[in-house]
Amino acid sequence: MPRQVVRVAVVGVSHPPANVWAQRRVVPAALMADIPALEAGALMSTQGDVHTYYMGDHAVVLHSGETAHYIDNLRAAQPSLWVSCDGDQVRLVTADPYEGEAMASDPERVVEALPIPPAVAASIDTFIQAHHVHEVFHKRKRVPATSQHDPRAPRILSDREKWVQTRGKAGLPPRGST
Amino acid sequence: MSTASTAQAEPARSEYEMLRAQQWSLIASLLVAPPDRETLAALAGLTGDDTALGQSYRVLAETAATADVDDVAREYFELFMGVGRGELLPYASFYLTGFLNERPLADLRRDLAMMGVERADGRFEPEDHIASMAEVMSGLAAGHFDAGVLGCGAAGQAGFFARHLEPWATQFFDDLAVAPSARFYRAVAEVGRIFTDIEIRAFALEAKAHRTSGSSAQKI
Repeated sequence: MPRQVVRVAVVGVSHPPANVWAQRRVVPAALMADIPALEAGALMSTQGDVHTYYMGDHAVVLHSGETAHYIDNLRAAQPSLWVSCDGDQVRLVTADPYEGEAMASDPERVVEALPIPPAVAASIDTFIQAHHVHEVFHKRKRVPATSQHDPRAPRILSDREKWVQTRGKAGLPPRGST
Repeated sequence: MSTASTAQAEPARSEYEMLRAQQWSLIASLLVAPPDRETLAALAGLTGDDTALGQSYRVLAETAATADVDDVAREYFELFMGVGRGELLPYASFYLTGFLNERPLADLRRDLAMMGVERADGRFEPEDHIASMAEVMSGLAAGHFDAGVLGCGAAGQAGFFARHLEPWATQFFDDLAVAPSARFYRAVAEVGRIFTDIEIRAFALEAKAHRTSGSSAQKI
């Protein structure tokens, strides 16, 4: 299954705590397509009490089976990459919006949807052009068990009835599209 | 006098019976597993006369001479194993009822138990597989098994054949001949079909001779 890895740099911002019980924490705030020559965790700038850190670079792995999700992502009003962090460690950066939102359901994690850098969007678009196979949604329906329906298996199995992958990525269009 | 008791009376079988046993044994060995390189080479050396059976053997020899052992193994897989199921289900129960492991298998197991025949260790196919039944027929023809205990009267192995193979064997070989993947096995099917046909007619003749000449009829 074809894969492609794109690396992005993650920039985190730490705001002063809103109350005396809260603590400072670094939240991913921006992505860069160019990897800066910095150590992960380096302080990039300070504006008043707002500190900007470099959280390191991370891989965005593109899978050919998920191209439909990437299309959904790129067609959205704001195409994004989902950055998921444990503390100040970046654990996952994904272009799949459904995977990203699934990560967001975990309250222990910090998950942010950040605007995608145009260079990364372009390489995802190239990946989609190369590997996307359009599959039409086919609603399956139960065949009613009528007296006309013969429950017995055919004596000779024809090639058409065999369990071989002929549709989808193997060549033919998916069932229901014709 | 039944054929089986004749068999017990004379341990040396007639040449005719031994040849029948060999034919059944050949069919069984080709249907139980794909032939290896040596078997294919041996098959390629077969010759036949101008009868239908002889010609079918000649075709089998020609097919075996040109067949590749891997292709034949692949073909066997497609025909009898497959993904989910093979192209054919070579079981008596399936042919007679449309389902596997039905009453024909139970009847066959009862008869085999009475004959004292059971599955060898490590063989997991149900007994109503065409290859096992061909093996049983081979054993009956060679006199290793005794069908006299089945209560088919004087018929003996003819009774076993009529009860378990005759209703579906020719249909099976016809199906094997037209199965989409069959190449080498089309030749095997031809041999099997013609041989089964001869067996059916021979048993019918035997039964007729038995009826006309009373209980003292000898095997023709």
